[in-house]
Amino acid sequence: MFARVGSRLLTRLSRRSQCQTRLLASISSSSSFSPTSVGPFQVFDRNAKVLQKDRAATLSGGERSRTVDYVRDEIADMLIERFLDIKKNFNSILDLGSGPGHVSRLLETSMTKRVIMLDSSQRTLKRDIDEQFEVEVERIHADEENLLDVIPRNSQEAIVSCLSLHWVNDLPGALVQIKEALQPDGVFLGALFGGETLFELRTALQLAEVEREGGISPHVSPMTDSRDMSNLLGRAGFTLLTVDVDEIRVNYPSMWELMDDLRDMGESNAVVGRRHLIHRDTLAAASAIYKELHGNPDGTIPATFQVIYVIGWKPAPNQPKPLGRGTGQTNLKDIL
Amino acid sequence: MSTPTTTPLRRLAVASTVTCSQQATVYGKCILATYTDVKKDACKEEFAKFGACLREAMKRKW
Repeated sequence: MFARVGSRLLTRLSRRSQCQTRLLASISSSSSFSPTSVGPFQVFDRNAKVLQKDRAATLSGGERSRTVDYVRDEIADMLIERFLDIKKNFNSILDLGSGPGHVSRLLETSMTKRVIMLDSSQRTLKRDIDEQFEVEVERIHADEENLLDVIPRNSQEAIVSCLSLHWVNDLPGALVQIKEALQPDGVFLGALFGGETLFELRTALQLAEVEREGGISPHVSPMTDSRDMSNLLGRAGFTLLTVDVDEIRVNYPSMWELMDDLRDMGESNAVVGRRHLIHRDTLAAASAIYKELHGNPDGTIPATFQVIYVIGWKPAPNQPKPLGRGTGQTNLKDIL
Repeated sequence: MSTPTTTPLRRLAVASTVTCSQQATVYGKCILATYTDVKKDACKEEFAKFGACLREAMKRKW
């Protein structure tokens, strides 16, 4: 969690300077969170994120958003592959942070009878409302951070989450809520972006800002890493954990196309205390640095998306448990 | 809405990657040589040329 802690420190600092300039106890920000109620886990501006996602999903009637589905569709595919390893038939699955249904549209009737899609951006949720899914679909517009407000405890057989938990402020709390929403012996299957994601863009912007302006500010979110995920899952009370990491590299003509696509994905910067504009000199410098520092020989630039896949089960008395130490009957030497 | 080729940001993108690609490479190489210890204005001269080319290509000053 070092990255997260680092950024929290940054946001704290910026908040303090705000307090010094504003002596009256008034909230003039148009954003929904108030400085007085910002807890220790406030890293992302959720309100801004919803606006960005809504806007991205409606641009050109959703066409722009569909064009940039490639990352999410690919990862949804990998998540479903892991899902197929679970030999169980479900009556219902909750797709947390579903977007327009990247995972839900891949579900088959042999896996589940119905799926509940839940997302905090209404327009993203309903982008593909006319499309026929193989299983029965229910859409709920609600905040992923307050899952238990809409989903009763001990009610879900399985919860999947594909690439939405990286915008959740209180990740430990969100995982606890997921566990609470699950029935005993229920399974949680998640995919979330890891800390290596977009490191090229992060470093290019940092170098450009340091060289041009003499300081840095957060442009790429802090993200969790795989070691943290197993700790957090364990802390939230999941058992039989599986955590693995995968990387996807996408090549773009230049940094500009990457930034366009990120915006169309609704993945623009939403860190609390972010700068709302970057000087064009800094942007041009970052583009040049990106190409020289990370560029491919053919002139394109790569962008890395690191994905952490997690599986965890809610404990139940009848659940298979790992055997105790020293109970093995076969010597590994005989096999290897 | 304006087409992608005419927005100022799009024009800056073209200027920085196509029109001024040579100056961009010189600046990038300078950063590459010093990126473990970058300070403000470490590549000031290189950027001045890159920036001048960008302003020329964009036909405006900033």
